[in-house]
Amino acid sequence: MDIEGKYYRSYKDRLKILDEQQSKARIKKQHDKGKLTARERLDLLLDKESFEEIDAFVVPDTHGIEFGKVEKHFGDGVVAGYGKINGRLVFIYAQDFTIMGGSLGIVHANKIAKTQEMALKIGAPIIALIDSGGARIQEGVASLSGYSTIFNNIIRASGIIPQIAVVMGPAAGGAVYSPALMDFVFMTSYTSYMFVTGPNVVKEVLNEDVSFEELGGAEVHAKKSGVAHFIYDDEENTLLGLKKFFSYIPSNNMENPPTIEGINDTPDINNRLLEIVPDDPNKAYDVKDIINNIVDRGSFFETAELYAQSLVTGFGRLEGKTIGIIANQPKVLAGVLDINSSVKGARFIRFCDSFNIPLLTFEDVPGFLPGIDQEHSGIIRHGAKLLYAYSEATVPKITVILRKSYGGAYIVMNSKNLGGDFNFAWPTAEIAVMGPDAAVTILYRKELAQADDPVKLKTELVKKYREKVANPFVANEKGFIDEVIDPPHTRKKLISSFNTLTNKWVEVPSRKHGNIPL
Amino acid sequence: MKIKNILIANRGEIAVRIIKTAKKMGIATSVIKTVSEPAAMYLSHADTVYDDTDNVSEIPVFIDIERIIKIAIDIGADAIHPGYGFLAENPYFAQKCADNKLIFIGPSPDSIYKMGNKIIARKIALSNNIPMTLGSDGKIPSEKEAIRVARKIGYPVIIKAASGGGGRGMRIVRKEEDMPKMFRMASNEADKTFSDHSVFIEKYIEYPKHIEFQVLGDKKGNIIHLWERECSVQRKHQKLLEEAPSSALNDQLRKEMGEISVKIASAVGYFSAGTVEFLYDANGNYYFMEMNTRIQVEHPVTELITGIDLIEEQIRIAEGKDLRFKQQDIKLNGWAIECRINAEDVQSGFSPAPGKIEKIIMPSGENIRVDTGVQSGSVIAANFDSMIAKLIIYGKTRKEALANCKQALDKVWIKGTKTTLPFFRMLIRNPNFLDGSITTSFIENEISSYYVYSEYEEKLAAWLATWLFIDENLDESNLKVNVEETRNISPWLLNKRISRH
Amino acid sequence: MAKQTKKLYALHGRKKHSFNLPLTKTIKIGKREYKIVIKEDNKYGTYILWKNRRYPVEINLSRQNKFEILFNYVSYSFTIETPFSLKRKQYLSKEKGASEDEKIIAPMPGKILEVMISQGDEINRGDPLVILEAMKMQNEINCPVNGIVTSINVDPGMNVNKDDIMLELKIIQ
Repeated sequence: MDIEGKYYRSYKDRLKILDEQQSKARIKKQHDKGKLTARERLDLLLDKESFEEIDAFVVPDTHGIEFGKVEKHFGDGVVAGYGKINGRLVFIYAQDFTIMGGSLGIVHANKIAKTQEMALKIGAPIIALIDSGGARIQEGVASLSGYSTIFNNIIRASGIIPQIAVVMGPAAGGAVYSPALMDFVFMTSYTSYMFVTGPNVVKEVLNEDVSFEELGGAEVHAKKSGVAHFIYDDEENTLLGLKKFFSYIPSNNMENPPTIEGINDTPDINNRLLEIVPDDPNKAYDVKDIINNIVDRGSFFETAELYAQSLVTGFGRLEGKTIGIIANQPKVLAGVLDINSSVKGARFIRFCDSFNIPLLTFEDVPGFLPGIDQEHSGIIRHGAKLLYAYSEATVPKITVILRKSYGGAYIVMNSKNLGGDFNFAWPTAEIAVMGPDAAVTILYRKELAQADDPVKLKTELVKKYREKVANPFVANEKGFIDEVIDPPHTRKKLISSFNTLTNKWVEVPSRKHGNIPL
Repeated sequence: MKIKNILIANRGEIAVRIIKTAKKMGIATSVIKTVSEPAAMYLSHADTVYDDTDNVSEIPVFIDIERIIKIAIDIGADAIHPGYGFLAENPYFAQKCADNKLIFIGPSPDSIYKMGNKIIARKIALSNNIPMTLGSDGKIPSEKEAIRVARKIGYPVIIKAASGGGGRGMRIVRKEEDMPKMFRMASNEADKTFSDHSVFIEKYIEYPKHIEFQVLGDKKGNIIHLWERECSVQRKHQKLLEEAPSSALNDQLRKEMGEISVKIASAVGYFSAGTVEFLYDANGNYYFMEMNTRIQVEHPVTELITGIDLIEEQIRIAEGKDLRFKQQDIKLNGWAIECRINAEDVQSGFSPAPGKIEKIIMPSGENIRVDTGVQSGSVIAANFDSMIAKLIIYGKTRKEALANCKQALDKVWIKGTKTTLPFFRMLIRNPNFLDGSITTSFIENEISSYYVYSEYEEKLAAWLATWLFIDENLDESNLKVNVEETRNISPWLLNKRISRH
Repeated sequence: MAKQTKKLYALHGRKKHSFNLPLTKTIKIGKREYKIVIKEDNKYGTYILWKNRRYPVEINLSRQNKFEILFNYVSYSFTIETPFSLKRKQYLSKEKGASEDEKIIAPMPGKILEVMISQGDEINRGDPLVILEAMKMQNEINCPVNGIVTSINVDPGMNVNKDDIMLELKIIQ
């Protein structure tokens, strides 16, 4: 073929046009907003030179546009294809805000759909870098149907391949459902936002003044709504975080998560664990201290850190193998379960169950949060979600009761008869129908009313209650706790227990799907 | 009556200190183990340890009079040393000891009571012609009375708790319109802290030096003084650094103030160790402030310049022995400086920084003394004081002591939590401190930073942060996948997964 | 990132320290490069050896790109930025304008046990502000932003209701 000939030349020219479309002016406009371009993001995230683009030259469908104008740009505002992250295949699409505001037209949507279908066929994860003005008004209902196709694909692939959304710009109106339906949502602070109805409509309908950031900024979704699981100050850190996260999850639901060959310098026996839980049951401590002293050094990666903080969820590794961790956090709201933490936990458990990630639960929970607010908002329904998720999960499940474990909360947090494979307890564990104070007040009401020194009598009775009823040895003797373990040896115990459970399989009855309370 | 076994109703460095002297004297010691610090250093130094870890009472054992007496009787101690703080200045405790035939190593309950109530102490000083600031005759019952007295004395005035100390229940009032509010605040705080809302008013001396005299007396009425200590380096009424002697006094003043200290101690029939505190103003006037009826934290500086073991003397006096020194025997030799190294964050206003001391290496040598209750692995609990160690330095002159101090501070190595060490390293280089001209205003007004800033150190720290960032986020070598291990799914499991789909 | 960025900045307050990538284990003073060694042993724990001197080092907090380092007993808070993220920060601070106020509200009813800060104190994100006793447990309320305390509305011993404003801060970036 003649390099100077017309065939080769026209091929090269076309590539040049695509390159020039990414004009300096466009790039600058994006940079001036503190944002990177779609291609820059792909460059940062994917392994060097691993990205293979598809449908780079598709042009928008301008037929039948009755209202407004659509310019003919190659790619139609989204860059899609596949590449590698740390050597592992992923499918990915990045919306390009510099082209028609990244708005979604039918061709744009079809490209995304193509990417999704390939990912599902091949069994590789799919990542969406979202930065879009929303549906393309000019294309009318065709844009909306584009969204429907995309959502449908997400749902068809749900639980089969990991699907991750990274919101790095606007995602408004119908567009929010992509992240909402995917497994995990990353958001970049200040330069991204998500809401169903924007501030303009809010102002019109409700006469309320609210900014983009206040209505649906990253902080709102990370702290209040629970829609975003991860929030980062800037785009580079967001992508770095994504890369790190990626190393914990498998490529599809038939595989195990990757085993990392780390330098294993985490000591199996750690006396530091004796220092964290105080003997005084009313003193708080940080359960993350315990987690960090048990998993492989530096391997704890928390999810939804700023939301429902009384329950900690996240991934960790034991000897290089991923586990999902759920732990009550005594430092926040005394570690109680409430509506938000129940839902947070349930979602996390179901992700781990879908993708063969074993579950480790650390328990120190005095109960559910009382109050009219919780009851009227349906703590009954939402608490049931956590219960359902634990029981439904068939991955290996281990629970370690660190301290309090009362009543309904005891049952919910992966108790033995709910399906816990191994249930361990630390010597400080207190397992009972209710806490000592409450129990003594009810059982000995008459005696306390008649006593000369009720305070002293109560202290004595509480002590007796702790000795006879609320200690872990009673539960151990009855078979509800498999073993009371020595805290410094917890890691060693967990490693051997999870290894034993590697081939665990539970038959589930055949049905379309269960009816989890929603 | 020879003491055979002392129960130390205290913990930390003072417990270790008392045990040291008791051992020297061949006396056995007993201590109490608490649930807050079951592995504290002082426990391993004593002969007997009483295990009080079962104690779930709201009242910590060190201020539980009944419990301590019971423990003392149980373990067969014949004397109790209260240390400082806790019950050291509680006259009821001293009385209860006497009632139970336990020798209280300290002064009589009566003198503790009299000197503990600041209003009574003032009255005694007044009747003995001890120079004092103008003040109210007794307690101030109302806001109206407060305003009347303050008008007489002249602003600024300070409202103080009658039963208090340590900076609590104190309010400075500079103008009349603030008086009602301050009076109320001071009374409330006094009530909360000392269970006694009575307050009195004194003229407030703006930024004086704080100079105190150590006294020692026996049960026969012989009293001597052991020179002075300068404690003007304070923050919010907490002492940080003390020296002995003071660079502000000349021999004449020293003699005068020493005699006055002895005089007021005699007025209450004082015996054992005690400290008479003075305020020393810019014009060279001194005013009696109060008397502390206990051994003090900063006693080591006096010990270094006089060569006398104050704890030993306390024990001898408690046994009924006569003072074995006369005033003329007490020589002033050289200069001593004490730095109180605490677990506090100087960059956050000295807020407590409890935690585990992973490593502690203190300097040692001829002119260095270290009093501590902390060793590598010790935990600084949040419910006791934040003291890590007292670094006490000696020199033949102040100049020498300062130079020795600088050297010693540079050798201190503590890892595990934030400490006040950078503050002392700054102080030992501060020209005002070096020429001795500091007053109690020093920390609040005259220094702009609590630590010495080093550009190189910041750059090194920045380098480290960058290195850590790269290591945690950019270094992909620690995310290397073990492909074989990952693919290693047993046929049993794989079959089940496939057949499910 | 190493392939894209040639530089990283470590920011502390208003100071910007610049480091070229790949990062060498040296610091340049004038014309000379001095080697940095990170060491850990049984006697001293973790420390840095530089110019023949040992500097004790603690990493107190490390979160995404933020590090709190105690270096030779002095605490520094660093944020690591790339040239692009630095530009982004500048753009954002222009957009957001003057600093705002942050109100710290009680997350649930309870009793204030301890107030750890004073008016005028400069607080870092994550620092403890008050201890609130509720549900028979001590809850540490931490600061969500970097700021200066402008007013404290609670005292130890006081009871608070849910959403009561306990204290206010002026946010600093």
